[in-house]
Amino acid sequence: MRRLLYVGLVLGVVPIQTTVLDHLSVAGVRPDLCLVAVSLIGVFGGMADGVLLGVLLGFEQDLFSAGDAWINLTTKAVIGLSAGVVGRYVARTTPVTVFPMVLGLSVCSGIAFLVAGAGGQGTLAAVRAVLLPQAMFDTAIGMGLYWILAERFRKDDSLV
Amino acid sequence: MFRSTSGTRRVLLVLCALLLSLVFVLPKQSRTLLQAIGKPLADIVALPLDVLSSADRHAGEIWDRYVALRKVHEENQQLRREIEFLRGQAADLREMAAANQRLGELLRFQAGAPAQTVAARVIGRDATNWYRGVVLDKGERDGIQVEMGVMTLTGAVGRVVKTRASSSVVLLITDPNNAVTSLIQRTRDEGIIEGTFGGTVRMKYIPLLSTVRIGDPVVTSGLTGGFPKGVPVGTITNIQKDEGELFQTADVQPEVDFTKLEEVLVVTVPRRSEEPPAVSPSEKKKP
Repeated sequence: MRRLLYVGLVLGVVPIQTTVLDHLSVAGVRPDLCLVAVSLIGVFGGMADGVLLGVLLGFEQDLFSAGDAWINLTTKAVIGLSAGVVGRYVARTTPVTVFPMVLGLSVCSGIAFLVAGAGGQGTLAAVRAVLLPQAMFDTAIGMGLYWILAERFRKDDSLV
Repeated sequence: MFRSTSGTRRVLLVLCALLLSLVFVLPKQSRTLLQAIGKPLADIVALPLDVLSSADRHAGEIWDRYVALRKVHEENQQLRREIEFLRGQAADLREMAAANQRLGELLRFQAGAPAQTVAARVIGRDATNWYRGVVLDKGERDGIQVEMGVMTLTGAVGRVVKTRASSSVVLLITDPNNAVTSLIQRTRDEGIIEGTFGGTVRMKYIPLLSTVRIGDPVVTSGLTGGFPKGVPVGTITNIQKDEGELFQTADVQPEVDFTKLEEVLVVTVPRRSEEPPAVSPSEKKKP
């Protein structure tokens, strides 16, 4: 079941991100579904799964992005690892604990993109136009998905 | 009781026999008699008959209506389904007609384009928010390479930054990381087109002595960016001329609506061609 879920994520998240999600954009900003997915896999599946999915989804995201071919791969792997650490060492994760986690990871990921030069010369504009709105979007989606998955996993532990 | 009843029955039976005999013996007279006797009886019987008939008729009507309603309901559902189907078909046809028109225009443009191009469809947007890019359905297999220019009928779109066998990624001219050398069509002053995070385009490094005006069209210079010379980029909407600066900067409204990109042309061989003169030769002589 877990493998199937991961295969589904690898095959489905990036196509959704590049096509359907465009209709849900607010002021041109969409949530980073890969970031949210990797964060949640890290929390539920552990560090190894988080890193693995992070590398795969990040790589896939790089393939369909105009940015450098490593930036998503590395940031998503670190995000998966960090979320895995949170999932392992935080005694009880709830949507409330997921809120700062996804927010922090999204902001850190955005900073990494800015450092890599994604914002061009307008760093402040990039923070206002992309980094903060995306972080809020990611957090909202992350909390919602966490709540749904937590409910599901409580009933069926075999998924965890 | 039984006896009296039996007696009455006998009397009635006798009367019936007489009547029947009368009918056979005197048919005409008996018919008149029967009509005379039958009238009041008919009037009496007519009352319940009316009631029953009415009830029966109403019952029949109700039944017919119910059955008919059921039929009408089914017919209604069927018609609704047909309407939905036809609406879907009409939408499909409209979409096909629009696509046909767009592709026809694209083909006509491609035939007369100042460069060799490959038509491609936009199949997705950049996978992150950090870059303004689109994914095309054509790649190396179709001769597309990195740094090739991408345009539509209306103007410049961007340049190819990544290619794979059957798809490629294009960085739009509205991305802050993109730079395309362009020139102001009227004054022939060169500058560099650069994107902003607001989704607009800015032209930098316009010479300080340039007589650039709001409304001036900007086209590609053909020097870099994989574009032929003269591809429309946009129209100048605002000019910043700060004191102490060596160059002017202008905001440019792009010609292309990047939110509605569906089909594009990838410039595989940017042939140089003379763009149509936008100004008279006398104006061109002016500094």
